[in-house]
This record gives sequence, structure tokens and C-alpha cells, in this order.
Amino acid sequence: MISAGKLEKSRPSAGTGLGRHQARMGYLFILPTMLLFAVFMVIPVVMALYLSFTNYDVLSKNDWIGLANYSRLLQDNLYWQTFLNVGFYAIVFVPLNLLISLLLAVLLNRAARGVKVLRTFYYLPTLTSAVAAATVWLWLLHPEYGMVNGILSTFGIVGPAWTSQTETAMIAIIMMTLWQSVGSNMIIYLAGLQGIPDYLYESARLDGASRFDCLRYITWPQLRPTTFLVSTMSIIGALQLFDQAFVLTQGGPANATKTPVYLIYQQGFNQLQMGYASAQAFVLAMAILIFSLISMRLNRSEESIL
Amino acid sequence: MRKAFAKIAAVALSIGLLAGCGAGGGEASNGQGSGGKTTLTLWGDWGGDGQKQIQTMVDAFNKSQDKIQVKYALQQDVITKFLTAATNGGTPDIVFWDRWRTSLYAPKNVLHPIDEYLERDGIKREDFYAEALKELTYQDKLYGMPLTVDTRALFYNKKMLNDAGLQPPQTWDDLENVAQKLTKWDGNKLNVAGMSLGDPGLFSMYIQQAGGSMLTEDNKVNVNTDAGKQVLDFWGRLMNEDKVYKVGFEEGLGEGADAFVTGKVAMLYTGPWMLSTYDKYGKDLDYGIVPPVKGPNGDTGGNMGGFGLVIPQGSKNPDAAWEFVKWWTANKDNALLWAKTSQNIPGFRPAVEDPYFSEDERWKPFLEALEYAKVRPTHPGYSVMEENALIPNLELFLQNKQSAEDTLKKAQTDGERLLQENAVVQ
Repeated sequence: MISAGKLEKSRPSAGTGLGRHQARMGYLFILPTMLLFAVFMVIPVVMALYLSFTNYDVLSKNDWIGLANYSRLLQDNLYWQTFLNVGFYAIVFVPLNLLISLLLAVLLNRAARGVKVLRTFYYLPTLTSAVAAATVWLWLLHPEYGMVNGILSTFGIVGPAWTSQTETAMIAIIMMTLWQSVGSNMIIYLAGLQGIPDYLYESARLDGASRFDCLRYITWPQLRPTTFLVSTMSIIGALQLFDQAFVLTQGGPANATKTPVYLIYQQGFNQLQMGYASAQAFVLAMAILIFSLISMRLNRSEESIL
Repeated sequence: MRKAFAKIAAVALSIGLLAGCGAGGGEASNGQGSGGKTTLTLWGDWGGDGQKQIQTMVDAFNKSQDKIQVKYALQQDVITKFLTAATNGGTPDIVFWDRWRTSLYAPKNVLHPIDEYLERDGIKREDFYAEALKELTYQDKLYGMPLTVDTRALFYNKKMLNDAGLQPPQTWDDLENVAQKLTKWDGNKLNVAGMSLGDPGLFSMYIQQAGGSMLTEDNKVNVNTDAGKQVLDFWGRLMNEDKVYKVGFEEGLGEGADAFVTGKVAMLYTGPWMLSTYDKYGKDLDYGIVPPVKGPNGDTGGNMGGFGLVIPQGSKNPDAAWEFVKWWTANKDNALLWAKTSQNIPGFRPAVEDPYFSEDERWKPFLEALEYAKVRPTHPGYSVMEENALIPNLELFLQNKQSAEDTLKKAQTDGERLLQENAVVQ
């Protein structure tokens, strides 16, 4: 993103022969990517938009039914409940995800012995498949014989039936997804940290800045592009939550962990109501767009404060 | 959105990888193989042991004659694959079919009706479980043949009952009594649950035992009734007064640590598919099986499920496909070979009457239950109604977060809306 801005400034004027040649070559080079982008992104998105106005069922029907899918969507309490579910998930998950992965990155950014081993350990959960991880978490979270409640019981606390109770099911999913995702975000933050020049810290320390001051006034602002990337990706990931919820709780109990993607899949593939599922998917895409824009705003507004 | 679907695909893929079955593409071939033989493709999603069981039957069929050659192609996600194939061509000739899907797919004209074949070859419908045929029927046309039938029965831990001097239950009252006596609490910790209440989906069985039904004759939700109330009152008593179970007790224990195998659950409803697991892991487990218990007024109730074989409309050789379907489902010897190979009850009654089943104590309770067991109502929105409206409300009830009256009222209205939204549109 940064380099794109630089390129723009140094773009040669299109009038000269060399410029035209460069432009032609440039377009040629980006052509494969643009073609793939068009075929696998733009066309499907446009088609999905069209399908959301039809009663497409894959097999026998594809008739224009106007706004019927969208008006049905307005009445669909369950669909809006799934938005509340992922909303709650996002509000807890995204800040914790940022905080923990940043903390891990700061801790593991020094050149101490064994730090590489630790980095590997923290990254490992990311490599586990969601299904396998969920199976292990189900054992950990078992109400009677799980490790989590076992530890709680040594403090005299009777732990809940994590995945089966409406209050705790989403929290169980948050714990598991955090465990799975902080590793990869830690790596991104580590890369960001390594990019901060040492002289900033040096001069700050000469001016008598404390460690916390360095973190607050150098590290955090310098990492803003990284934070933007990580937060946007986790917001998108949160709104598209599916596999962990599917394996850990199957959307239960009492619909508490059903997510929009879960319903879209159910309507589209199980019930063959692709038209309606497309409408649901479009609303989800719009929601993702809105929240990404908000996140972008938040990041930019902080820039002006500092 | 594209990402969402990519994610789903990823999940499907990882589940497939976990199951450890690497299926080849297995594109449907279209007809004449070598040596003038007709080549047929059978699609199914049974991998592992199931794949071997199906292969046994396919091999036996290929050996039994020299005109048709059948090939089994394992599909991780047979329904999605079938969807794409049905639109782009390349459908298989036979599909190993989860029967309840018929009500959704038959109206879309992707399945081949087989009534004429039955008539031509003199296959008697009385030889099959009527409910299984009903599940394969849409608007008086039959779309497939039942291959297996299954139902649940009450499994009980013999040793625990004997030690307590109790008889296997036959009614709701017995069940409550036995469950209460076998339950063991240690302070706040549940050590032995007398009766499993971990599957609220069994409401559809209990409501039959209370003399009710899930849907009315004209396919309207029918749970907000006296029968529905009786079931919830019974469950409420078991959960809150007798305290024979705790929400989430059996979750995530895994096959080898199954709560029934390890003696953490004294009784539960499950099906013949668990027999091999219990035999494999439960060396010390001495268990018995009785048919589902009767309700307060002596009503019986059970659910029937199972697989069938269907011929897609896109099949290039429906006649040859029918020969294979007939060979497998409507012949006593073959149905029995299948039953013994796969430990499933076949849909063909003459095979079930064989001493292999009728004289085996373990099969008897299932056979008895199958006589009155009902299939899921044949409405394309039924499973969504259960999953999104009924079960969530039942879960709230079981966790004491909703009264019985509200539970039934909400299940009724939410369910009715889902049924209508997912009904067949002509």
C-alpha cells in the first residue's frame, strides 16, 4: 500500500515513447492477475447480486422475483440474531486478538536465547486444522472431566458446561479462535516491530523517555499500518465465523453460536434456496464493508491526534 | 462472500482429510465400457469401512453377471457434487441416498421415478418397510429403493440395573424410576447419569409416545399440543426434580471415552450403528437393549431413518442402473449379504425375517421398534424447522431458561414460518 503511493509519484508522463512502452508492459504484467480477479471475484459477485433477486435453486428454477428475498430477509429473526452473535464475538475477539498478539510480539522481539523456539510454539496452533483443534478443545472444555473445569475446581469453582450453555458457548469459541489466531498475528506484528528504526528509541531514551513511553509514543504509532491490517482482517474473519462454530457447537445451544455464514450455507446448499442465500450473503458483504470502513476511519483519526 | 464459500470448502476438505479418505475424482462415465459391457457409476459418501462394505456388494454384483460393470466412486460431499453434476451433466447412474432428502430433491425433477420398473418386474411393495417407501415417495411417485432401515432403542447397562435389582424399563414411569435410582451425584459433580437427555432431537420420538405427532396430516407444525406438553413436563421432571442428567454431560468425550462405555451414563437411546463401537471399546460393558418405552397412555413411538438407492434423471443407462438397484435391494440373498457385511437392517422384509435377524436377541428390540417407527415428515423444510426452531427452544427449556408453555408456543410459530419458507414452490 505504501509502495503504491510512491509509484504514483514517480510515474512517467504517458506522452513519451518510453512511457507508453512502460505502460504497455505494465498492463501486460498485471493482466494475468486482473483476469483471475475478474473471473473469480468480479463476475461471481455480480452474479451473486443478480441471483439474490431470483428464486435460483441450482436445479430447476431461476426466475426474477424482485425484492422478495430481501423482504423475507427483513422478517428473518434468526438471521439478525446471527448478526448479534458475530457482533458479540467481534467485540470481544478483535480487541483481545490485537492486544494479545501485540503483547506476544513485543515480548518475543528481543534477541534472547530460546526466543525462536517460543515463536514457533506460539505459531503452531495456527497450523492446526480447525476441526482437529475443536476436538481437542471439546475435551478441554468438558464440564466434568475437562482440564479447564478441573483447574477451576481446585479453586472451589464449579465450572460451566462451556459449549452447551447459552452464556458460555460463544466464549468457548472466542477462547479457541484466539488460541488459533494470535500466532499468525504475532508474526505480522513481529515483522512490523522489526521495521521500526532503532534510532527512534535511542533518541527517545536520550530524552529520558521511559519504556512505557517508548511503547506508547513510538512502537504503537509506528505499528499503525500493521494494526490496521490485523484489525481489518480479524473483523472480516469475525463476521465470517463458521468452521470453529460449526465444529465446536454446531450452532447451538439455542442458536447462540449460529453465524450468518452458517445460515447462508444451510439455505444455499442444504435447502437449495441459492437466491435467498445470495441475498443473505450480500447483506453480510455490505456489513463487512461498513465495518471495514469504520475500522479504517478509526485508524486514520488516531493519526491526526498524534 | 466468495471467501465465505472458500471457507466452507476448506471445512469440508479438512473434515474429509480427518476422516482419512482420499477420494479420487471418479468422474461419471457415460456408458459403454470395454467388451460391450455397460459401465455404471455409483456415488456415495461412505468411506473407510463403509467403502469396503459397499465395494463388497459392487464386486458381488459384477461377478454375478457379465453385462453390467458397476464402479463405486466415493464422494466426500455427495450432495454438493450431485448438485453440480445435475446442472453440468456427468451425473452418476446410481446414488447412495440419505432418504430424507427425497422431499427436497424429487420436486426438482432430478430423480428418476421407478414405479414402472417395479410393475414390470413384479416387485411387491409389501416386501419393504412402508415408512421407508413413503420417505422415497413424492406425489405418488416412487423415486428409490430402501437399502437400510434403522431406528433407536433403549440401551441399558445390565450390570448397573442388576446391582440395583431393577428391571429394564417399559414405560415412562419405569424409565423415570430406574434413571433416578441409577443416578449418582458427588456434591455438585455428576458421576453417573441415570438417563441420557443429551439429544433434544429425540423430542420427535417422545411426542409419539405421548400420543402426538410432529406435523399434522396437512403438514402443519403440531408441537404446541397436550402431547408436547407431556413430553416437556416429563423432561422437566427428569432434569430438575430427579436430576438424572446435566446439560453437556456427554459432549466431546469421543468414541473411546463414550459415556455409556465408561459407565457414566446408565441408559440412552441410540441405534444399531453404535453396536460395533460398544463391542469394540466396551470389553467390560455388559449391556442390554429394549424397544423404546411406552408413553403414559401406552402409545409407542420411534423414528425410522436409513439409506436408499436412487437413479438420477441424468443417468444414461437407467435400465441397467435399475438392474443393479433391484439386485441389491429386492433379493433376499443379496440384501442379507449386505446386512451381514455392513451390520445394517435391510429394507427388504424377507431378508429381515431370516434367522440371522429374527433369532438374534440384539436385533429383536430394533425389529420390534421398526414395526411402529415413523420416518421424518416428508416436508422439504422439516429438518430446518427442527434444527432452527424446535431444538433451540428445547435447549432453552432444558437449561431452565424458558417455560414449557413458551417453548412450545415459540417452537410452533417459528417452526411454522420456517416450514412455509422452505416449502415446495411450483
